[in-house]
This record gives sequence, structure tokens and C-alpha cells, in this order.
Amino acid sequence: MSDLENPFEETLLQRHRAEPCTVVIFGATGDLTNRKLIPAFYNVAACGDLPPQFKLVGFARREKTDEVFRKELEEGNRKNSRQGHNDELWNSFSQSIHYHRSEFEDPAGYVQLKLLLDQFDRERGTTANRLFYLASAPEAFKPILEMLKAAGLNHGVDGKWARVVCEKPFGKDLATARALNAAVADTFEEKDTYRIDHYLGKETAQNIMVLRFANALFEPNWNSKYIDNVQITCAENLGMEGGRGGYYDTAGALRDMVQNHLFQLLSLVAMEPPTDLSADSVRDEKVKVIRALRPLIGPEAVGANVIRAQYTAGSVDGVSRVGYRQEDRVNPESQTEAYVALRLFIDTWRWQGVPFYIRVGKQLPKKATEISIHFKKPPQVPFATARLPGSSENTLVIRIQPDEGIALRILAKQPGQALSMQQVKMDFRYSSSFGKASPEAYERLLLDAMAGDATLFARRDEVESAWKFIDEIEHAWHRSATPPPMCEYPAGSWGPKEADDLLRQDGHAWRLL
Amino acid sequence: MPLSEDTLACLGTEVPLAKIDRALKELWDSDVAKTRASLINLAIYSEATESLIENNHLLAKITAENACRALLITCLPEVKPQRARAWINALCRPYQGKQIVCSEQISFVLEGGDAAQVQNVVFAHLDSDLPLIVWWQGELTKNFEERFYSRIGTLIIDSSTWDDPRREFASLGAAKAAETSHFDVRDLSWTRSHFLRTALANAFQDIKAREHLPKLQSIEITHLNTERCAAVLLAGWITQRLGAVLDEAQSGLVFQKTDGTSLRVTLIETLSGCALQSLRLIAPCLEVSVTRDGLSSFVRVNATCEGHSHEELLPADVVSDAELISEQLSRSGGSTHYSKVLPLMVKML
Repeated sequence: MSDLENPFEETLLQRHRAEPCTVVIFGATGDLTNRKLIPAFYNVAACGDLPPQFKLVGFARREKTDEVFRKELEEGNRKNSRQGHNDELWNSFSQSIHYHRSEFEDPAGYVQLKLLLDQFDRERGTTANRLFYLASAPEAFKPILEMLKAAGLNHGVDGKWARVVCEKPFGKDLATARALNAAVADTFEEKDTYRIDHYLGKETAQNIMVLRFANALFEPNWNSKYIDNVQITCAENLGMEGGRGGYYDTAGALRDMVQNHLFQLLSLVAMEPPTDLSADSVRDEKVKVIRALRPLIGPEAVGANVIRAQYTAGSVDGVSRVGYRQEDRVNPESQTEAYVALRLFIDTWRWQGVPFYIRVGKQLPKKATEISIHFKKPPQVPFATARLPGSSENTLVIRIQPDEGIALRILAKQPGQALSMQQVKMDFRYSSSFGKASPEAYERLLLDAMAGDATLFARRDEVESAWKFIDEIEHAWHRSATPPPMCEYPAGSWGPKEADDLLRQDGHAWRLL
Repeated sequence: MPLSEDTLACLGTEVPLAKIDRALKELWDSDVAKTRASLINLAIYSEATESLIENNHLLAKITAENACRALLITCLPEVKPQRARAWINALCRPYQGKQIVCSEQISFVLEGGDAAQVQNVVFAHLDSDLPLIVWWQGELTKNFEERFYSRIGTLIIDSSTWDDPRREFASLGAAKAAETSHFDVRDLSWTRSHFLRTALANAFQDIKAREHLPKLQSIEITHLNTERCAAVLLAGWITQRLGAVLDEAQSGLVFQKTDGTSLRVTLIETLSGCALQSLRLIAPCLEVSVTRDGLSSFVRVNATCEGHSHEELLPADVVSDAELISEQLSRSGGSTHYSKVLPLMVKML
């Protein structure tokens, strides 16, 4: 045992070992902090995984005291905590929460912040690590980073670390992402930069690698020889409620969902096995997938492979819904897509010729995110005369949310004299098999950031490669003389007819969810 | 104490042993709203009639979080003549408000039950391809024999319930050493100290506190008088992690540290309260205490180091046997820390 090792830490090895630190949240009075971050920290505390002498500082513009801030967060925690709210634990946990009022662009505010953090260190009798969480509006990221640097808060002292967590959206195109990356790189080293994508914190997203690489049943078949096509669906049955239209109309489905969440899922499904499970090994393989995406350049290629659409009036769950352009805070002449479907090809040995279909949209019939792997059909010679159901390929479905789990669809003989076959489903559900609820994605990701594990965070080259691909589509839509059309679908339907046609051209159909 | 028919009625529907599978099938066919779920075979074995009701309740709690085929075996070897009875039951819980997910429970009362009969009822009623976890309650009697333990994946014991832990650990060691055995051992006495070990590890994440560890002079553990095994295991683990060696020449629990100085362990027994109530580590400029108040869900960690004090509240993990078992079932693989500390623990008993 060296003098510096914790001799008792072997008991913590099964858990994520967060290092003692102070977390500073910028944008601490916002919805994300109230709804997600504080309940996540509280639940990490409830599981006993918060590091000792933990401190959390909320940094925001509004004037308030520590007590008022804690009271507001307590109300949010009561509503949003996964494991409920325990007064005894909250009272202890909330003592670690403090509030610091400042404008994001005010250098004096950062000097005061530094004094506050130094004061915490004196009280602890040791210097702490520091984690800066950018949960503010994205336009504030750059000034915050500059101010942190000017105040000297971007480097750890006495061998401690200083890290930054950036919330999405990380840029709105390649140029802005590069500028933001440059600002981050000017302030923090890449190893200390954690770009959060909460999809990667979901249990089923993490299970994709286990499913693929730890099961001999799937690992040898995961390639173009056996897989016919892959579909990734992210359906939402909501529109622009709660004033979301203002932001959404400046982004659209492609930027808001595909560039980050769905490309992350695509990477996990299509990546080669990493040499080990270190953050860089995994991310090296993921970024190769994005780089290998066959580029869609020009309006013709985009028009042939990408369908964009807006919903018109319709109904969801029996409730009438207005069309996208009639939504609150949406431009009545908006050219922003509320739905997008893409046909992508990954030009690698493994995936040659296999189409990857992605669709994401608002006001669809149900809320569901899932990946389906459609296997090629066997020759079926012995069953040439047998009656087959219309869709007879084996399908493996990975449900990301809700009802996380995995289903495998296979053919079975129907009981009776005739040789008729029927699709049957083998279904694994996390909730019914494992009674314990999975931690929220943010709990896992915050612990990882405090523990220094960046595996589930996007790296700079991943983000920029994804934007590079997305930018070509955006350019074809918004900058070309002959942009592909904006299609329409009634709210409550499964998207525009053109998206169905996109698959029909290949002899495929969207999976029925 | 003989089992009354009223007591046995709580086990569900009595069925002939030969018709258990058919009865289970009928149980599921009769209600399509129920989904059967199973990840493991969990067998509870007891030779105490008075534990039957309690075990039945335990299974209801355990299956709420762990989908399994549950086998509840009450074996009464001394009762004559030999007779075996069985009951089936579905242990259900709501899932997402619209569906019911159920585990199956098969209960056996084996009057005059011998090793062969125990093996037969267990091995004839397993959910195939799923691991077998056996919670063997009480002493490792003659029914715990090679043909039985050679087929199980995980053995759960509770050394705190043993009258003669030395003898039982010797039996267990012999079983573990058998060429055919492959089971992991999980001791609930070890699980009971999990929250204290975690709290201690957390407290020494602080480098300042770690600097004072080599100067540690004493360790005090307060425990319920029936939980000496849990306290000894905890003390053994701490001293082992510090590289200290038991000084068998001295009376009491005195250890010699790597620098030659002594470290004294004091175990304080109480007659009430939870199994492990407090732990104190004392050095000249350091005192770390982990305390659990009553049956609180939390432990308080107080650390005073070079004049700086701080307090943390951490979860106290689990209290009931059902929670302890669920904790074990949620972990994969055995505890190497436990295996390492066991020889020292036996010396300390």
C-alpha cells in the first residue's frame, strides 16, 4: 500500500468513484438544473456515490440567497427525483448547495466565484477539484469560458483537476461548432472537456456494446452478410408545447436530434469493436463510423436520400393538433423541418450496401426511440410451399425509451397440420427482468464526469464530423437554387408518404412500432 | 413445532409433486394478463419450521425486485414417516400500471427429508439454463453434501446464525475445496457491513485523512450481541487492508502494523439496535466515525483531521434479510475481499 492510496477503496470498485470536487452550474436557475441536474445529484447522493466534502455552486443572474435557491431546488427535487424525496437526506445534501449571483460576462463575478471556491477549500483544509457545468443558453458558453480563463479557474491547482461539461446544442453548424470547440480548447484541455449527450447515459444505449460484443449469437452476424437494413426511429407525440417552438424553429429535427443523439446511436450500432474500453478507444471507433458515412452533396443527392417534412393539422390521442406553422413561436412561413427521414450508407467493409434508415419527428402517433436490425432472409428452400407471413425476416429491436429492452422476432410453425409460419416475439424488458429502476442518464453522466471517465461523452472530432455531414444537407435545403421540397404529414400520422417511398424504393418498409 | 394446515395454506395451491409442472402451466394459462419473468433459480433451504412463514414473506419481497423461479424448501429430517408435499404460487407485481409481472414460487415441506430427496426436489424443478442460487439457512447439516453443492452457482449463508462458526467455516472450506464444487459464497454477515465499508472508503478519499492512517491506534466497532461474525469480518477487513498482522501472543484483538507499532481492535456488544451500529478509527490527529442511528436509512460520517471537521450523510444500504438477499442478487460474481479476509476472521473468532 503506498501512502497515497486509499486502502479501503477496493470496496468502491464496483461503483463509479467520483473524486472530491466542487461543481459550478452556469444557468443554475434554468429548467435543466431544476428538472434534471439537481435531482440527478440528489439521487447520486442517495446511492452514496457523491464524493466526500462535495459542494455545488449555482451561478446565475438573478438575485437570491442560498436559502431561497435551496428552497426552489427542493421543490423541483420533490417533483422530479427518481427515488422520491427524503427530508433527512435533502437537509444534509442541500447544505452543500450555494448560490452565486453574477452576469455571465462580468469579470468581477468570476473573481468573487474564485474567492468563494477558495473559501470552500480552506474550510475543507484541502484544495478540491472543480467541475464547471455549462447549462446556460449556448450563446453564453463562449463568454463564460473566456471569463473562467481570465479568472484562472480553468486549471486545477495542487495537482487537482478543472473540467468543463458542455450541454447541447454544441454549435448549430460546423463553423459554430468549430468556433465553440476552439473557445473550449483555449480554456480547457480536450481530456477535461465533457460534451454531454444524455442518450449515451441511457441504460439501453450502453447495452448496445454488450449486446453486440458479448453475445456470440450476434457478434458474428453483425455485418452486411447477414443484416439487410437498420432502422433508427425517434418518434415524439408532442409538438411545440411549452414555448419550445422558439428554439425548435431555429434548429429543426436534423440539427436538434440527428446530429447528436441519433448519430451517437448509429455509431454504437455500426462501430468496430474497440481494442479496450478506455474513453478514447471507444470514441476512436465511433468517430470512424461518422467519417465513413457516404456524403450527401448537392440537392439531388439530398433529395434522393433525405425527406424533410412539417406536420399539418391533425389529432394525436384524440386531441386536435394545429399544424407546425400555426404553433406558438413558430414562423408562419417556416422552412424548418419537424420531421426528417434519411437513408445513409456507411462505406466500410462491414456495412457495404446496407442502408441505415433514420427517422425523427414531432406529432407522430407515439413516443418511442428504438433501433431495429433487420436480418436477411434465409433461402427458405425447405419451406417453398409453406405459407409465409408478409414480413418474415428476423428482426432484433433495441428499445431505447420508453419500456427499455430488447425484442427478437423470429418465425415459428403455427400449430396444426399445415406448414404455416407465424412471426413470434421474444421480449426482454429491463423493468420486468430487473426490478430495480435504472439510474437516470444524467446520474450516470455526472458521476462519470466527476470520476474522469469520458467514454459516454462526445469528443471534438465526433462533433465536428457529424456537423460536417449535416451541413451538406442543410446547405442543399437552404442555400441551393433547387432545394428538395418540404413535405407534409397530418399530425398523428407516421410521417409523410415520401418517407415511406424512400424505403419502398429499396423493397423495405418502416417497422411498425 | 408441527406445521398447521392454516400455516401451510399461505403457500398457495397444494399440488402433487408429480404434477407441479402441469399445475404451473395451468396457472399461467388461466390469466393472460400476467407475464412470467425469471432470471435465476432461487432456492431457500431451512430445517426450521418456524422460519416457513417468514421465508414465505421474504420471497414476496425479494421477487418484487428479482424475477426468479423461487423454491422454498422446509426440510424436517427428524420427522417420521417420510412424506413430501408441494404448493405453487405466483408472486406478482404491477408493471407500468397496466401489466402484471410474476415470479413462480414452489414450496416444499419434506418430512423425513434426506439429502437425496432435497436434491431431487431442487433439481427436478429448476427453470432450465438459469443459474441456481441457494440460500442455506442455519447450520450446514448432513443434507449439504457433494452431489448438492457441486451443482449450485452461488451459496448464500449467514454466519451470524451459526452456533459454532469455526466448525461451520471448516465444513464450508471443505466443500469449497472439493474438486467438483464451483460455487461462490455470499455471507450475509459480510453484506451487513457493506455500508460501513463504503462509508469508510468514502471518508478516506480525502488525501489528508489518508496521510494519518499509518498512525492509527485503535478501531472500535459497536455491534448487536448476535452479530459478532459481522463485526469480526469488518475488523479483519480493515486491519488486512492496512497490512496489519494479528498478534496472537497478545490477549484480545491486537495487531502489529508494518512499522511495528500496535493497533487495538475493540468490539463492543449491545443488546439492541441494528447489526452494526458504529465504527471509530482513532489516530493522534485523526478521528473518523461512522454511526447509524437506530434503523435510520442513513449513516453519519464524521471526520476530524488536523482540526478540520466535516460530516457526510450516506445511505445505510440494507437492514432486512430480504434487502440483504436482493443486494446479493444484484451483484455478479463472488466477493474476493470476503474470501481473502475469511482465514483471518476464523482466527479472530
